[in-house]
Order: sequence, then structure tokens, then C-alpha cells
Amino acid sequence: MRILVIEDEVKVANFIKKGLEEEHYAVDTAFDGESGLYMSEVNDYDLIVLDLMIPKISGLEVLRKIRINKNKVPILVVTAKDTAEDIVKGLDSGCDDYLTKPFEFQVFLARVRALLRRERADAEPVLKLADLTLSPVTHRVIRGETEIELTSKEYGLLEYFMRNPNKVLTRTMISEHVWDYHFDSMTNVIDVYVNYLRKKIDKGFEPKLIHTIRGVGYILSPSKP
Amino acid sequence: MDFRSLRFKLTLWYVLILGILLISFSSFLYLTLSRSLYRDVDHKLRSLAELIASESTSPLSKFDFGSIDQTLETSMNLKPIGKFIQVLDESGRIGRRSENLKSAQLPISLNALRNASKGLITYETNRSLRNTPLRIITYPVKEQNHVTKMIQVASSLEDVEDALNTLLIILLVTVPSILLIASLGGQFLAHKALKPVDRVTQTARMITSQNLNQRIQTLKVKDEISRLIDTFNEMISRLDQSFRQIKQFTTDASHELKTPLTILKGEVEVALRKKRQLHEYEQILESNLEEIDRMSKIVEDLLLLSRADIGEIRLNREDIHLTPFISGLTEQMKILAQPKNIRIHISNHEAEHEEELHILGDTLRMRELFINLIENGIKYTEAGGSILITLKKEMNGSVNPLMPKEKKPAAFVKIIIADTGIGIAKEDQEKIFNRFFRVDKARSREQGGSGLGLSICKWIVEAHQGEITVESEPGKGSAFIVRLPLYSP
Repeated sequence: MRILVIEDEVKVANFIKKGLEEEHYAVDTAFDGESGLYMSEVNDYDLIVLDLMIPKISGLEVLRKIRINKNKVPILVVTAKDTAEDIVKGLDSGCDDYLTKPFEFQVFLARVRALLRRERADAEPVLKLADLTLSPVTHRVIRGETEIELTSKEYGLLEYFMRNPNKVLTRTMISEHVWDYHFDSMTNVIDVYVNYLRKKIDKGFEPKLIHTIRGVGYILSPSKP
Repeated sequence: MDFRSLRFKLTLWYVLILGILLISFSSFLYLTLSRSLYRDVDHKLRSLAELIASESTSPLSKFDFGSIDQTLETSMNLKPIGKFIQVLDESGRIGRRSENLKSAQLPISLNALRNASKGLITYETNRSLRNTPLRIITYPVKEQNHVTKMIQVASSLEDVEDALNTLLIILLVTVPSILLIASLGGQFLAHKALKPVDRVTQTARMITSQNLNQRIQTLKVKDEISRLIDTFNEMISRLDQSFRQIKQFTTDASHELKTPLTILKGEVEVALRKKRQLHEYEQILESNLEEIDRMSKIVEDLLLLSRADIGEIRLNREDIHLTPFISGLTEQMKILAQPKNIRIHISNHEAEHEEELHILGDTLRMRELFINLIENGIKYTEAGGSILITLKKEMNGSVNPLMPKEKKPAAFVKIIIADTGIGIAKEDQEKIFNRFFRVDKARSREQGGSGLGLSICKWIVEAHQGEITVESEPGKGSAFIVRLPLYSP
């Protein structure tokens, strides 16, 4: 899952990025409204973390512009503005959740998970497909009775697959949602990671879940496409 | 009714003044009228008496024969109606009388007799006869300087007294009625005039710090009350503004403190989520220390400013010779300027004019002021730039004309600290001395500023009866100009 953090306070942006990355999210940072808005337009993010007091374009303006662009990405506002008025204004301008600084990092993470869950129809906290389950809270992945150990990138990749089951995912989509913008999508890194993941979750289990769609990408599905 | 109320007082005064006016007018009217009526009667009596007297002394007259009425009618063609006439001899014995007296006599007082014997006329009012008041004139008739007889002419005062009584009754009825009506009218008017005052009171009572946006409804008419309302509204506006400023200041201060707190909390929480390498912990602790320093600086500056605001800080003023003072500071600041390869120069006009520039100032605060300004210059100047400090004497004329004249000292020391930095946009130039105002938030935080440095500079300069201004062109640099009163030891 790829997250954009728009925050002008470098140290705040840095610890948010670090904390999120340790939860296997891919994180981009922008230090002002202008570049933040630009990045939200060119990349497909699963969540945006937005500070309101940012230079060049204010956070509220960024919010409105994102919504005017018909971009439905969940937005979590994290700001020092804590009056009722500010919160109402923020939510009415189009953000999905509002967190005031200073905040508890675990609460912040829980809200991130909640907003990502909202994207899916079932909205269950634990992701399930056939006999494979993934918990975004504990990061435990279980196939049948066996717990599977995954690396950070493999976990990120599987979470993205499981949030979009039975859907063909192109290499571009995968690169955009699992890797941050430093990633060069021209390499075959994605195929390498998909193969790692396939070895861990499909080897020795039936039915096979990860299928290759030749020339397009991959699909996570209990049945062969 | 509240007897202390303005409405009651106004009505009372109004009625009192009107009452005094009406009563004096009525008394004047009554007295003048009665005087003129009585004088009129006296005039008529006297002229008749004089006529009779002249007739009686005329050698050709037949005065001593027949009745008086007849005599008057025949000799003078007079028929005095309602006048009683009686002639007495010099000793007061009653002689002839007019017919209308019938058997009655006109009374004559001792006083009148005495006067008459001296040849004086006497007017009297007598009420004993026929129950009607009579006005009597006793007129002595002199022949060869000798009083030979007295003529008494009387007239009833009934008409006069009736007229006066009627007038009195009219006045006694109308004056109190007018006063009553006036007091009601006065109360109504006072009520009407004072109603807006009640409204002002009500609104004023409702206004607290929470609803300072409320205003009293203004009146269409521009009178004293509307001026009061305007003044009141202006006062609320000013209160509102200062409350807003305080609120803004508090919000700004809390925001400033929240950022380092967020960083401290966030970094520590993220760090504690799992075991880390030693160098990572060190890094986090170093970063935390930076934030703690930043917070202490903000708190320190805030404390200083709030103590300055309530006037708690005393300046320990002493003679400072500015040239060595600033060169000394500049030497220290060069250490800070070195990493960015910024040069600091001092241009001293003093040397040229062979004149020493002294001020009376608090050494500690002056150090703070110039260090702040030079540090600011270093922060906002790119590597390789320069800072020029100019010192010169300035006579009064060119100083800010807004400053009250009597406060202006004769001469100033002008200190210009000019950098070749990024400059300040025109619209921001007047705001930079505001507390927590930052042209570039991210940049100034990176530099570790509290956002209060220039506010403190402004306070220091103003506490020394000076002024601080800024001139700047974005991209070219800024010049902070400090003017401090020149001191001649």
C-alpha cells in the first residue's frame, strides 16, 4: 500500500515515513502543498497523510483540489490545528479523518489501517482469500494452519494483492502501490518478488492463488482465470 | 418608579423649572393687572374730585345750592354713575352728599382728616359700608392756602375685585394642570430619549469575551445617544481586536510548541516499536535534544516578552560607546559567519567626523539586539554574501514623523545592518516584527529560530526610546535600521 505524506516539518515527515515503512507501506514525502498536489496527481496513492499548515498551497486548498479532480483517495489530516471549527472545516473540505498533533503513533497507524479498510467492500479487519489470511494489525500471514514468514516487500506485495483479489494487477499498478517513487519500474524486480511470494504462499498448498496473466501482470484468485 | 433614575431626575428638573416660570409669570400678571386696575380707579376718583373742587371754588358756581348731582349735571354736564360723593367742611362735618348715598355716609378716617388738614390727598379702601369694598379719596379744597372743605369721592371696588378673583381662580387651576401635563409629557420624553440607553445597558451586560462580535444597534438620528452608541461600539471593536490578538498569540504559541512536541513524541514512539541499533538511538536522542533546545528557546523568549509586556523588566542603563561595542560583537559573530563564508564589515562614520557615538542603554539587551540582528542576517544570506554594519549620527529632522515631537531627542545614532540575503517581500515587511510571524516557516525552523527574535528586538529598541525599521528588496537583501537616542556624556 502506497502512502503520500505531505508535511513541511522535515523531522515529522521523516518519523512518519520511517514508522509507516516499518509497517510495510511504501511512503513518499512532499514538503509543500504544490509538490504534494502534483505527486497526488501523477501517482495513484492508497492514502494521503496531509498537514494543513504547509507552504505554497495550504493543506485545505490541497484537499479541495484533490476532491475537485474526482480523486477519492482516503485523506488523513494530521495537524496542530485542534479547534472544533478547524476539524469541521477540514472534514467538510473533503478529508476522511482528522488527527491533531501531537498524536500517539499507534493511534495514527490504526487510523491508517481503518482508512485503507474502507476501500474494500467487506471492510473486515483481517484480509481473507480461500484459506489464506493476512492481518494488517499483526502482519501475520497464515495459509491453512501454517504461519508464513514474509519479508517487508513480500508482505507489502501480498497485502496489495489481497486488497484487490480476483482483479488483474498490471506491473505498473503493482509498482505504484507497493514501491515508493524511487523505484525504477523498468526492471524485473516485480517479477522477482512475485516469484518469492509465490514460493512462500503457493508451494505445497492447493489451490494455487497467484496466477500470471501473460503480457499483462498477475492476479490473485482461488480459481484459474 | 426609581427616584434615583435619570428619567425621574430629568422630569423633576423640568417640572421644577417650568413651575417656577409659570408661578412667577402668573404672579407678575396678577400683580400688574391689579395694580393697574386700582390705579385706574384712583385716577378716576381723583379727576372727579378735582373737578368738583374746582367747581366748588369757582365764584360763578351755584355749588352751594341744590343737590350735588344736580349741580354736577347742570354746571358740568356730568353724571357720575357708581360714584359716591360727599362734601365735608374743614372740621370734618358732613355737608352735602350725592343722592345714591341715600342715608348712608362715607366714612372718614382720622388719618384722612389729618392729611387733609395738611392739604394732602388720601386714598383709602373701606369695607365697612354695604359689605362692598369702597375706594375713597379725601380731597382737601384750598382757598387762599387754607383748607376750607374736603371732598370725598368713593367708588365700589366690586368689579375690580371680581375680575382679579376670576383671574386668580383661572391661574390656580391652570398652573397646576399645566405642571401635571408637563410632568407626564416630560416623563414620556425622558423615557423616549433614554430608551436607547437601556438598550446599550442590556447589550453591554450581555457582552462577554465570548461574543465580542456583537454590536449595539445604531440609531438613524445622529444625536448624543447615537454618539454614545458609536463610541461604545468602537470600544467593543477594540476589545474584540485585542482579544483576537491574544487568542491568535496563544494559538501561535501553542502551535510553535506543538511542533517540537510532535517530533519528540513521534520519534520516540516510532523508535520504541522495535529493538534498534545503538547508533539509531543516539541519532534519535540527538534529534530530541535539538527539539528540547528549540522548545526552551521558545519558552524563554515567550517569558521575556510577556515580562516585557507587563513592564517587569528593568533596564540597567549605562553609557555605551557604540563603536567598540559593536566591533566586539562582530568579532564574536564572525565565528558563526565563517561556515557560510559570509564577511561582516563595519563602516564607521564616527572616525570621519571625529565624534563619539554613545547611547544610554542596557548592555545585556543591546548585546541581544545586535546579536539577533546580525544572526538574522547570517541566517538569511546565502554562502559567500556579506553583512555591512553602518554607524552614523542623525539629527532629528529625518526621523519618523509619527513620533510625538516632544519625545524626540535632539539626535540619534543610526545603526544599519544590511545583508545581501534573500530579502523580504513588501507585504511581509511590516509583519516581520509580529510575534511568531515567519516569512518562510520551514526555513526559519531549520535555522532553529523561535519566531520571536525580531519581536524581542523591537521591544528592546522601543524600551530605549528608539525605533527599528526594515528596508528590503527580495533577492537583493535586507537592511534593518535601528535608531537610538544619542547620549552626550
